[in-house]
Amino acid sequence: MIRTFRDILDAAGRKGAKRIAVPFPVMDDLRTLSRAAAAGLAVPCLVGRPEALRSGIGRTPLASLDHEIVEESDRRAALRRAVALVREGRADILMQGGARHRALLTAVLDPRSGLVKKGRVASYVSLFPLRKREKLILVTDTYLNNHPDLVGKRGILENALQLARLLGLDVPKVAVLAAIEQVNPGIPSTLDAAVLSKMGERGQFGKATVEGPLDIDCALSETAADRKGLKSAVTGDVDIYLVPEIDTGHLLAEALVFFGNMQTVGAVLGTAKPVVLNLPFVSGENRVVEIALACLNCGDGANHG
Amino acid sequence: MIRSLADFTRLAREKGPKRLAVLAPEDEEFMRAVKEGWERGYIEPVLIGNAEKMEAVAGRVGFDIGPFEKIPGTEQQAISDLGIRMLFSGELPIASKGQIPTSYIYRSIIREEAKAASGMTVSVVTFWEIPGIDHLVVFTDTGVNIKPDAKAKAEIIKNAVFVYHLMGVSRPKIAVLSGRRELGGRIASYRDYQFLKKAADAGDLGECEIVSATSFTEIFLGSRGRRADLTEASGEGMPHILVVPCLDTGNVICKLDFFLDVTRSSLVATSRGPVCIPARSDFSDNIVQQLAMSVVLADRMEKEVH
Repeated sequence: MIRTFRDILDAAGRKGAKRIAVPFPVMDDLRTLSRAAAAGLAVPCLVGRPEALRSGIGRTPLASLDHEIVEESDRRAALRRAVALVREGRADILMQGGARHRALLTAVLDPRSGLVKKGRVASYVSLFPLRKREKLILVTDTYLNNHPDLVGKRGILENALQLARLLGLDVPKVAVLAAIEQVNPGIPSTLDAAVLSKMGERGQFGKATVEGPLDIDCALSETAADRKGLKSAVTGDVDIYLVPEIDTGHLLAEALVFFGNMQTVGAVLGTAKPVVLNLPFVSGENRVVEIALACLNCGDGANHG
Repeated sequence: MIRSLADFTRLAREKGPKRLAVLAPEDEEFMRAVKEGWERGYIEPVLIGNAEKMEAVAGRVGFDIGPFEKIPGTEQQAISDLGIRMLFSGELPIASKGQIPTSYIYRSIIREEAKAASGMTVSVVTFWEIPGIDHLVVFTDTGVNIKPDAKAKAEIIKNAVFVYHLMGVSRPKIAVLSGRRELGGRIASYRDYQFLKKAADAGDLGECEIVSATSFTEIFLGSRGRRADLTEASGEGMPHILVVPCLDTGNVICKLDFFLDVTRSSLVATSRGPVCIPARSDFSDNIVQQLAMSVVLADRMEKEVH
């Protein structure tokens, strides 16, 4: 069972190093990759101008560790090449490197040349370790999808459930969040939540307990739920928080980081291969954990297998 | 200038007791809060509701409600209408919800605002007291408007600015929050920010300033153009008012006090006085805090209006 960021690093270490394609890496990336390579997690495959790359690598421990340089002098070509390396199986993981977010996601989500997986929704999940006990919580979607409809939310939830099971949760507990815990026809998020919850009850998500709509107080606190007369199997011990849309998801993830001083890492799910993004609220230290998480996500039975 | 919940508590002792219409106090946590509000000298309750239930619950929390005015009522919307009408007619300066769904209270307020032709939109301000930040922060609208557009947000801002002016902050800073990221295009909440920023810069929203940050990353780290260093995060530039994109976001974030080290307290500022709207999951100490805030704001509104 994986309960902490340390556990993620350890479990990924046991899987062995994965090849990571990185277009136009910047110094921060090289430092992160050095640490990942030293920990036996990664063999970086750096795509860019060889001279610039060598000079950067020379300033990090990566110089004496296993790595590969693939020549591309143009930034856009480097991105295309990195995606192709991963798609063709010559690398296992794509890392953002110096590519811009929009360019990267456009390349990844291209139906022909990208890393799209048929029948799957690409989504982003943020993981937070709780402080009071050893447990990771998942919040999704915090980055990729703006306003997913019910089908989108189902896909986002399936992705998160798969990751939760990979972390060792046999029956993940899900709170489908909304403004209130009652089903209110005037508040669309409560309707989607109710449907997802019913789908969960019918076993459509496999082994999982899906409760919704839940407001955040009923999700977090048994006493609060009691006061509202709400009985829920997930209250106080939620593994996955599914948010209604991106305003809530992105701001919630940020609020936990900045008001709660919580650590976080994230992962792109639902693509053919793992993709590691640069998000401003993930600390430099935790970027290695993101690589480790991507390593865990490689291969059969994992999110991208 | 009021900077903390303790400021409100201190001032409430000075300015109270004020008459408070209590709408259906039929729950122990709430009656306990009324009792404490009375004992601390904040309020003098006028109890509206089912006499038997109120007596029973008062008995359970050891509160003798014999001396207070009681108005019998059983139907929830009627109780709500009556209490809010008393507030708008000037009979008393504050009202507070007990065991009545908040939507009933909003309905009563909306009707009375329309009758009074105040032009005031009904919205909820939720205060957060955050360790290390030297002023109270408001999230709004956290209660009424499900998916406000930019015009509705302008009214929501005016209400919150009004509250900060009462608190002695002459030019409150506002962030219009959005889930905008590096990708995903200009989502509606960001377009709202652009519209409101222009309006505020042109002076259309009164004495206030809309800052350029729309996310917590920007508030805590400044511009996100560079790779962030989280160790540099600082709440120093924290605005006073955080306008949430929609009701879902507002509720999910403002009630994180169940999880984070912050204290929360909400109310509705109507054109005639504050209305306390404790959540059904709130505990009595939280409700007492809301009563204290209402007493102080009511006192300042009386001075402003008369």
